Amino acid sequence: MSILQHEVAQADYVRSDGHGKVTGSGQYTADLSFTGQAVAKFRYADHSHARVLRVDVSKARALPGVYAVITHDDVPEVKYGGMVQDRYLFAKDIVRFEGEIIAAVAAMNDEIAKLAVSLIEVDYEPLPAISDFVASMDPSSALIHEDWETDSRADELGSNRNTLGYSTIVKGDADAAMAKADHIVTGRYTTDPVQGVPIEPRAVIAQWQGNKVTIWSSTQVPYAARAGVATTLQIPQSDVRIVVPLLGGGFGAKCDFHFEGHIAALARAAKRPVKLVFTRHEEFFAIGHRREGMLIELETGVMNDGTLVARRARLVLDKGAYCGEGGFFAQMAAMHACGPYVIDTVNVHSFLNYSNNQPSSSIRAPTAPQVCWALEQHMDAIAKTIGMDPVALRMKTLIEEGAEGPTRQVFDYIGMKDSLTKAVEMIGYGQTLPDDEAIGIACGWWPCFAVESGAYFKLNHDGTGTIVTGAQENGTGSVMAMPKFVAEELGMDPKDISILYQDTDAAPWDMGSSGSQTTFNSVRAVLAAAAEVREQLLDAAAEALEAAREDLELVGGAVSVKGTPSKAVTIAELAAAGTFHGKGSGPLPESPAVQAEGCVGRLGMESFLAPQVFTHAVRVKVDRDTGVVRIVQVAAAHDSGAVLNPIGANGQVYGGVVMGIGQALSEGTILDKDGKQRNPGLLDYKLVTCSDAPPIDIAWVGRFTPDAGPRGSKGIGEPPSVPTAGAIANAIANVIGSPVCSLPMTPERVWETIQGAAL
Amino acid sequence: MTATFVAPTTLADVLAAMAAGARPVAGGTDLVVGARQGKKPLPQSLVAIHQLDELRAITLTTTGVRMGALVSHEQIIADATIRATYPALADASAIVGSHATRAHGTLGGNVMTASPAMDTGSPLLCFGATAILQSASGTRSVPMDELWTGPGRTVAEPHELLVAIDLPALAPGTSSCYVRLEYRRQMEIAIVGAGAQVTIVDGVITDARVAMTAVSATIRRIAAAERALVGTSGDRAAADAAGAAVSEACAPISDVRGSADYRRAMVGVIARRAIEAAVMRANGGTVPIPASPALHGAS
Amino acid sequence: MKNETSLTVNGMTYPVAIDSHATLLRAVRDDIGLTGTKEGCDDSECGACMMLIDGKPVNSCSYLAMQAVGRSLTTVEGLSSGEELSPLQQAFLTAGGVQCGFCTPGMLISATALLAATPHPTEEEVRIGLSGNLCRCTGYDGIVKAVLQVSSK
Repeated sequence: MSILQHEVAQADYVRSDGHGKVTGSGQYTADLSFTGQAVAKFRYADHSHARVLRVDVSKARALPGVYAVITHDDVPEVKYGGMVQDRYLFAKDIVRFEGEIIAAVAAMNDEIAKLAVSLIEVDYEPLPAISDFVASMDPSSALIHEDWETDSRADELGSNRNTLGYSTIVKGDADAAMAKADHIVTGRYTTDPVQGVPIEPRAVIAQWQGNKVTIWSSTQVPYAARAGVATTLQIPQSDVRIVVPLLGGGFGAKCDFHFEGHIAALARAAKRPVKLVFTRHEEFFAIGHRREGMLIELETGVMNDGTLVARRARLVLDKGAYCGEGGFFAQMAAMHACGPYVIDTVNVHSFLNYSNNQPSSSIRAPTAPQVCWALEQHMDAIAKTIGMDPVALRMKTLIEEGAEGPTRQVFDYIGMKDSLTKAVEMIGYGQTLPDDEAIGIACGWWPCFAVESGAYFKLNHDGTGTIVTGAQENGTGSVMAMPKFVAEELGMDPKDISILYQDTDAAPWDMGSSGSQTTFNSVRAVLAAAAEVREQLLDAAAEALEAAREDLELVGGAVSVKGTPSKAVTIAELAAAGTFHGKGSGPLPESPAVQAEGCVGRLGMESFLAPQVFTHAVRVKVDRDTGVVRIVQVAAAHDSGAVLNPIGANGQVYGGVVMGIGQALSEGTILDKDGKQRNPGLLDYKLVTCSDAPPIDIAWVGRFTPDAGPRGSKGIGEPPSVPTAGAIANAIANVIGSPVCSLPMTPERVWETIQGAAL
Repeated sequence: MTATFVAPTTLADVLAAMAAGARPVAGGTDLVVGARQGKKPLPQSLVAIHQLDELRAITLTTTGVRMGALVSHEQIIADATIRATYPALADASAIVGSHATRAHGTLGGNVMTASPAMDTGSPLLCFGATAILQSASGTRSVPMDELWTGPGRTVAEPHELLVAIDLPALAPGTSSCYVRLEYRRQMEIAIVGAGAQVTIVDGVITDARVAMTAVSATIRRIAAAERALVGTSGDRAAADAAGAAVSEACAPISDVRGSADYRRAMVGVIARRAIEAAVMRANGGTVPIPASPALHGAS
Repeated sequence: MKNETSLTVNGMTYPVAIDSHATLLRAVRDDIGLTGTKEGCDDSECGACMMLIDGKPVNSCSYLAMQAVGRSLTTVEGLSSGEELSPLQQAFLTAGGVQCGFCTPGMLISATALLAATPHPTEEEVRIGLSGNLCRCTGYDGIVKAVLQVSSK
């Protein structure tokens, strides 16, 4: 089978939301205003762990210009949460992290709202803050959720006290295999929390009309938000409409249901529209806005020829105060501790622990960048131990067609080794470099997620069409590309097709913008809806043209008889005279069944559907005196199956790599002993600037992947941020001679490693 | 009380407003940010000085160069005299904040904010610059090393406005450099910064100034390092010795930007780089402006 | 008491009443109603709020509105003439410089200022000139390409 680039039309497109974005006319949630709207402010916890003894809002309520102040007492007593129902909208008895919300104020303006927040009196009994997420799993540790045994949860989580999720991967007898290995290589790695940092801060506006509330929200997951509001306020989903104006990025920080319920309740109490816009400071400590810190311990038995005979690993993840949707992180991390390698035996134990830190969430490829960073350094350590080139070791041990993964999944064609070959070639691996420069390599994988989606497509009387989709456009362009695909299906011009999206009253349920699955699932549904219209058009045209259906084709905005273009009827003519509308979901691809009997905590990640695989190669320059690392060049080779929309796919790689550089070198939340953030701002939490971003070369090595997404495609949104930090780590180690085992690899940590090596 | 705002076009009117209790705002790059972050509220009575064009000039005087307080970083970077004679100041201004900060941020604002991490401070100390403070009741000169009394604090009275900074004429054979430890290439704040100025006569350093940024409550000169340089050629050994003297003399603190141990090691490295670059410039060699990015990895 | 005055934005003069402490960003977004300019942080770190004041880029979130009185302001809404996109706006779209779009108005303003001062910048000059604007989506690649495409014409 040939590389797909030659098989699929790849015309670039200009996104339909682009005009509004470059002219300033496009509106994001914070750009909307409503007559009489009030400003919302939250009162946050003053401690990261404390019993709440008294909340007195009387002074705040009495302040002129304050419309409403609400607390736990003003909303239904409902515990909620995606995988564990472990929290309330407002703190009830206990606060468990510094961003816990105690009360919400609606006031005439910002100044009054701030003053009112400061007038809320809260008495606490401080409790010891458990910020150390490894110590929190000690049986003697105090419980962060005293009710953990009665909180509703998915049974497969394997929860036990402060460990809310426990997952293992067990294949064969790793202990026995380890005993027979030529070498045993161990590594211990730690990572700091990392923030999502979309440039648009969260904004939510709620407005009631009778019993129905409309909420404009900068969320990636409008349907999850709708469900959350309905659950917490005890109202039917049909009375909740979520509209997402333009969304200014998310990266997972705007996943999950978080603030729509508070603002809806506040608007009901204030009897007027209420608008919440986060400051950048709030963005930093808010629930669900960060990746988890981790402890990663890896041990590998290897033979002299590079055969990996055993992998043992122990992973401890910091979930923070609440679970939310992220209960699967233990299992996902465990899969990444194995990676896309052939390993004879595996024994991985992964613990997802509560702490009094900010709760983590599904930040772009949750768990993968951290574990990949550790594993890929570990792979280089293995190569060093047996005196083998790191590329050669990977080429020998990476998965390929017919290979068996850690959960005994057997893979079809997969471009894993192709990505390594291509990345190594692009970076010029093996070239002679100045002695303060070196190249590092890292490989990784990430699954596609098959979930339900539904869509409508309708023709308007002038022959234009409108897609109605539940999909969420977070900036990647995957929703913006839908008209192109439908146009190809119906022989129409993409410019004649509009999109109604980001309105839960309009379209069927959709997972939203998460899991790199918008094209994978939502486009599948859109194409199925378009296919229905295609059938309707063929029926109508066959009648109009008095021709056999099978002799017709859709091309150039018309249905015509094949070989006789003059015998045709335009879609506009047909549309004017009839009703053409389709709906669809499309057949859901299934993950391959695996026999992973030994594994516990199975939440579906044990089988990777249509894995996206990739290799990054990075060239760095290290200032040995200061530890400052500059990235000289990045080469990124990805198998994402068929690439349907190159400008969009490339954009994901450019952005993901640069995010990966930040995670590697400068992005890290620093916590004090109580779990409070010490650098919650962009001055001391450092994103990569334009001047730090290197040239990035991209290669697509994927092929048409049967039984995957539309037209043989896979996902692409998350993978590009996965392997970059690992490749940078290996490059740094190649310059300074020792691995930097803490992430981010700040100048100080690189410098300390150099000092340690010199001792 | 309601906030008030005036924006006079003459210095006399500004000083009168200040005498009546108003506080000055120039580019606002520090003042407004500080207020928005809740560090320090904006003064109730504000007098904007951005219309005082008379404070916007860089002028040659009989004793050197006078920098108006409203001279922007962008102006400094572009000024041929500064680049040729006082290159450390151009090194510093060229790496302050972003292009927008450099367009609107002023030398006067930078100096009077009195941040220990300000980039222009070390160069000014090395030059032996003088601050000119003016009020409705008179004018006085304050040597730069007496201006700052602590983070955010100066000897200026509330009604005194910094109107200019005088740079003295420099002896032949003098040049300077400012280097900052930068995690990122742009948008940085000094974790450690060093200014150095040397006068070289017949291959020997006859006068040396070394000032350190972001390692103590105020930016300050390090006499031991200067002594280590005088009488030498300014070669690597001399620069190393001076760097070691700086490390010895500094007792930096630990914060989110770096530990005390790391900072102590870095002050030596950064000081040494600034000294070597100043020596190279004094000897007629070329070090690009700004020097910091050019010296990445210089060992 | 608010100051009764006026601000001139994109060539149009707006009578406004401005609090002495109000930032330029607040005045333009809330009082004048031009919401193209964004607020991404509060300490001049992200650049989403960038405007031109007398042709020079300013972080409007950290600038007093009253200091802009009598001066010429340009926001993203002023970059195109009518429906016609400017070459920079067009290039941002075709080169992949726009994803979520939240940084785009500020980026376009900084790029406009850069090209006004340096009509034919090197890539390094473009990267330095745009470093005050954070983008989390594009890795800056499409943005830098867009500016270089326009400047090479």
